[in-house]
Amino acid sequence: MSSEPKEDKASIDPREAVDRSCCGPVLFLAFSAVAWLLVYSLFALLAGVKVHAAGMMADSAWMAYGRIQPASQLALQFGFLVQLGLAVSAWILSHRGKTVLVDGGYLIFGGMLWNAGVTLGFLGILSGDASGLVGLQMPGNVLPLLFFGFALVGLSLVQTNNRRTDEEMSPAQWFLFAATLWLPWVLGGSYLLIHFFHAKGVVANIVDWWFIQNFARVYLTFVGLGTLFHFLSALSGRELVGRGYAQFAFWLLLLFGSVGGVSPGAPVPAWLPALSTITAVFYFFGVIAAWVSLTRTVNGASAANDEDSLAYNLMRLTALVFISVSILNVLFAFPGPGSVAEFTTYGPAMELLFKLGFVGLTLIAALYHIFPRLAGVDLSPTMTRVQTMAIVLGLIGASLPTALGGLMSGDAVLGSGFYFASLGNLFIFVGSLILFLNFLGAIRVAMKNCDCFASLFGKDDTKEASA
Amino acid sequence: MTIGLSFLLGLLASSVSYFMIGLWWPAAVVVGLFAWLAFALLDVKMDSTFTLLGGLLLVFCVSLSAMVFRASDQLSGLQYIDTQSEDGIEFRYPVPLLGNARYGEAVYKAHGCAACHTQQVTHESVVLDVKALTGEKNHAAVEEAISRFRNVTGRDASSGAGFPIGEWETVENALDAADASKARNFLAAAGASVDVQVRFRGEDLTQHDRQNPRGRGWGKRRSVAQDYLFAEPPMLGSVRIGPDLANVGVRHSRDVLMRILLNPKTFRKNSKMPQHRFLFKKAGKDEQGQHIIHDGEETYKPTKDAEALVDYLLSLKSANYPLPEAPINQPYTSSMPKPAPAPAEAPDATKADEAGK
Repeated sequence: MSSEPKEDKASIDPREAVDRSCCGPVLFLAFSAVAWLLVYSLFALLAGVKVHAAGMMADSAWMAYGRIQPASQLALQFGFLVQLGLAVSAWILSHRGKTVLVDGGYLIFGGMLWNAGVTLGFLGILSGDASGLVGLQMPGNVLPLLFFGFALVGLSLVQTNNRRTDEEMSPAQWFLFAATLWLPWVLGGSYLLIHFFHAKGVVANIVDWWFIQNFARVYLTFVGLGTLFHFLSALSGRELVGRGYAQFAFWLLLLFGSVGGVSPGAPVPAWLPALSTITAVFYFFGVIAAWVSLTRTVNGASAANDEDSLAYNLMRLTALVFISVSILNVLFAFPGPGSVAEFTTYGPAMELLFKLGFVGLTLIAALYHIFPRLAGVDLSPTMTRVQTMAIVLGLIGASLPTALGGLMSGDAVLGSGFYFASLGNLFIFVGSLILFLNFLGAIRVAMKNCDCFASLFGKDDTKEASA
Repeated sequence: MTIGLSFLLGLLASSVSYFMIGLWWPAAVVVGLFAWLAFALLDVKMDSTFTLLGGLLLVFCVSLSAMVFRASDQLSGLQYIDTQSEDGIEFRYPVPLLGNARYGEAVYKAHGCAACHTQQVTHESVVLDVKALTGEKNHAAVEEAISRFRNVTGRDASSGAGFPIGEWETVENALDAADASKARNFLAAAGASVDVQVRFRGEDLTQHDRQNPRGRGWGKRRSVAQDYLFAEPPMLGSVRIGPDLANVGVRHSRDVLMRILLNPKTFRKNSKMPQHRFLFKKAGKDEQGQHIIHDGEETYKPTKDAEALVDYLLSLKSANYPLPEAPINQPYTSSMPKPAPAPAEAPDATKADEAGK
């Protein structure tokens, strides 16, 4: 592809030109994501409290546990993780490729469509229009909206990647590029199979599990790993070690992450749970390969730049979360331990730890590095520290007691784990509230200083309303 | 990529295509060799977008066909099947939801009951009971085979003697698949007729009583794909914060279900279930009738939604009727009275195979 536009601007000060091109679109997506995180944490808190305060809001159908819990999951996965993932991917792809972000307007327009889709899905679940499936709770009609929103953003990212200066792609670029392509395929495929071809009986559930598996084990994992591959080497100022390992991990995670996820007792043909165990084991080899490459890169290194030490340390922590959750996942993929944990609160707790503890925190750490470069102002350091601590503590409180309680109960009778979970949810809520205010405050300062926001960021209000 | 890594990838590619996709084995070997060559010798670099895109598309197709299309093919043939109720009345199963219950399913879906309740009864293990029949001629050999079997599997061998002649008698109960297969081989070699019964076990299936405090009694058999033929969609759920509901229609009456929906704590003290007062209206003071529910001082009457939801819940009886793939107390086929006397039958190999799965 021709790289003329990049030559013009980048020859002056390449990094600044890249950041300038990213500024509006990336911050737009990041801001919506942070707003959705706040929505998630509020609804997760409410849902958690409802479990031990049975009479609370019992007169409102909109606030039934069975509605706010799936709605909060939607806000977390599609509102927060996917949008922040796209924002960080856009920045990394243009920085790694040393090229300006192509067609940033697509990012904003696609992001708006995506936000509209998530909002409609969120309201749809609350108003009782849910699909009844675990992974794709939102009403079927909003899926095309989400698909086109993501495809528009993806279009810009793929073009940006195609205009990269170096022909060779780094592991971070493979992972993020693959993730960008994978989600719309899986989303579109599930939509067609469930809502268009009307999969009958348990086939609908199989498609749903297929989506859940692909979303978590391929899409989210690839976004998280891609971000780690870029930042752990960039922030420590070292070259990535073990490109072969990364390549091995890439194909293995892709092949075996895309099949499986059926629990041991599911009422489906017996080969499906068996296949899921097999793929989980092979998948783990990919995890090990990625882990080897990452640890050899950062082995003993600290952040090259003092400003980045928080982001860098947070990422080392999330890498640790990633490997711990993966080890537990492969253990519980075997039928013996798997049937102990099946249907207990262990499953959702581990999912939370994976989604928010690994992917979410990795992306937030990336945001700490990206934000000052794009907005030209720093996030308040005290608030940043407090919010990070609150979210990390909250995650520990929300996931570990519930996971242990689930394993020990092995039954419908649950103990006091829920009280800890509510405390954890409260911490996450406080953390994401501070993050939101922090972001908002910094953006306001930035808008006064910088004119690039005035044109691109004028539609700030619509987004706040949608959140 | 190094030769070693790419060889491992090739090995993986061939094992995947053989075990998972079910390719003919030479084809699987070719796929593996191709992957090895592609990665190592031709040294495919992941530089071009098209290499990546091609690989991604390939994996996507493999994933979709290995998991979704294959399962869909297998399940597309599901049809009505004959079963019988406890009273021995035969009917076609599954029964489509009728009248109000159809709307109740939508209420169940809208209020997200599946966030806390599953609709899938599972089993944890399969056990096998072995029976045998012997004539006078083989009696000594069969008794010896029984004691040999008990010796080999570390059981009390002394009770092998005294096996009756000309009658079906239990040799051993609750064996695992390997032991049952041993018992069958020993007995068949000694000239006895052997019959094996398959039983599913698990906490979901055990009645809750004093002997089984962990038993849940959530169904008589495990759930299978057949049960969800008409569910739109099957709300299998993934977490059991509350009990499984696949068979709830058998366990509770309309009255109890209404009371649970209004205030679960009146039914079970430590219930985690939120109250669903929005499904009820406050009743007037002078209103009387069966539908009035008392909760403390207040009296309530159900709305249309609550009626439909309870109709739906009462229709959930899927784990109550036997199916060929999920029998309830599957009988010993050979020991059932038969019109013609059939003393020596070939050992039923298929059943033990099924159990071994």
